[in-house]
Amino acid sequence: MAERYPINIWINEERFAKLQAAGLSDMAKEAFAGLKVLSVMTTETQKDELIKRFPGSKCDTATTKTVELLPRVFKDKLFDLVIQHKSVEPDVVEKAMAIS
Amino acid sequence: MARAKAKTRAKGAKGKKTAKAKTPKKGRAKAVKAKAGAGRAKTGSAKAKIGAEITAKGGIRMARADNSLSPHGGKLIERVVKSKDEAYKLIRGVKLDMPIKDQIAREIVSMAYGFFSPLEGFMGYKDVEGICNNMTLANGYVWSIPIIFDMTEDDVRKMGIKDGSSVLLRYQNQPFAILDVEEVYSFDKKKMAVSVYGTDEDKHPGVKRTYQYKDKFIGGKITLINPPKINPPFDKFWFPPEEMRARFQQNNWDKVVAHQTRNVPHTGHEWLMKGAWFTSSANAVLVSCVVGEKRKGDYIDEAIVLSHAALGDNGYFKQGTHMTSILLWDMRYAGPKEAIFHAIVRKNLGCTHHMFGRDHAGVGTYYSTYAAHEIFQKIPDVGIKSVLTLEWWYCPTCAEITYEGLCGHKPQKFSGTVLRGILMDGVKPTRLIMRPECFDVVMKSADKYGFGSPFVDDKYLADRNPLMTVPPMEV
Repeated sequence: MAERYPINIWINEERFAKLQAAGLSDMAKEAFAGLKVLSVMTTETQKDELIKRFPGSKCDTATTKTVELLPRVFKDKLFDLVIQHKSVEPDVVEKAMAIS
Repeated sequence: MARAKAKTRAKGAKGKKTAKAKTPKKGRAKAVKAKAGAGRAKTGSAKAKIGAEITAKGGIRMARADNSLSPHGGKLIERVVKSKDEAYKLIRGVKLDMPIKDQIAREIVSMAYGFFSPLEGFMGYKDVEGICNNMTLANGYVWSIPIIFDMTEDDVRKMGIKDGSSVLLRYQNQPFAILDVEEVYSFDKKKMAVSVYGTDEDKHPGVKRTYQYKDKFIGGKITLINPPKINPPFDKFWFPPEEMRARFQQNNWDKVVAHQTRNVPHTGHEWLMKGAWFTSSANAVLVSCVVGEKRKGDYIDEAIVLSHAALGDNGYFKQGTHMTSILLWDMRYAGPKEAIFHAIVRKNLGCTHHMFGRDHAGVGTYYSTYAAHEIFQKIPDVGIKSVLTLEWWYCPTCAEITYEGLCGHKPQKFSGTVLRGILMDGVKPTRLIMRPECFDVVMKSADKYGFGSPFVDDKYLADRNPLMTVPPMEV
């Protein structure tokens, strides 16, 4: 299976309320003794395209293999699409990239 | 034992002496202390081998700390005028006059106060050639990063700069320093880039900086004639080598381990610093924050410095075991080569040990994870011992930060980058990955210095408070 790279969307109270309202609160996993995170998967091609499109973002290749430091505005859009499509798969990332 | 040994190693530059890192246990610390102490005596300077001087203070006989680890090259350089009269005397007769950019100004301050000893000024051709070919200055001392003064050929010609010229350098429109020109030369920038950075790709920020240098280089000694005022909040953390060494002595610190940083501290950093303190039997950890040119998305300098100080202020390091300081330096992201430079600068500050973790001073995928560990095997002993730290993670079962090689549970990995992502999402990290006091300081710094953001943006780059201000000086 081709490698996939998660985008971490960290869940604050506002985001958690939206997840709960959509019945998706189980999608968020617990991390670091109290934080909640939603991991949205990207393909290798999407990861490369995101990093190219958003200078300053990067793949933390040394530690977590996650796509980090994406602009808040993009992650907000992505989060809304996760809620709308009830999915954390690469097709949601594709949609977020198409409208960003 | 062998496995523990592999996790954190304190060793001389050639890796001959190894103090084993262990989980602290009663009775063990003493043995490690003795071992590390013996190691220092072997690799330290001649001065460091001299016994502690006994002095009387308040009726109690105290051993004065022996922190006289020799500066690189044997002598701490200081090229700062002592008085305005002296400055005016030096200026008299100097006919050439030019403004300088921020990077050059920071390097002049660092050289003038001895951070870069044995450098007394900008490098000549032979120094740069030596660095590129052998990682040494022309005088044979190890050095890894060129410190050069660049100009266009046109400006050199128009100003009539030649060997023997003296140039008054202005910064912030004020007289700042004098450069006594010894040499005007050219150097193959591609050769310089490949030798220092291991690549000629201009997407590497150090290579890009090299290619952006103008075509002529001016070598010669500098003298700081108008010392700048370091502005708050950095002024409290500004300790040139001579003063730093005096502080170490006042505190009776004879072993200090340096932590290089350009990030706000997370608990992983804290854990590594504590591990390095234990492993090296140090009296204290010196956090040396690199303050210089910023890129968008970096933490603002104020947040970095103040949040590190918060670790000491809030008891995560008890009083007398932790100190925060600044180093004026524009990161080159030269990975292993920059690690050598960091070691030399912290040695000049009087540190006996230096921490090197994964991807030290690296960028992208240009260097292997532990390139900064390996390079010290390839160079002569520079007289400061490396404390090498390996992979760590947060373990939800242990409920603590621990070493990958020791913990048998399923980890949750994080890094400075992940922490930045959490903060960028507007989420407060849990105390197990960032101390709440540090978080509060970061957010307060954002309000006070960062125009609402703890990260560098266009507004910060344009309008930030200057790190230093050159006082008015009539010429």
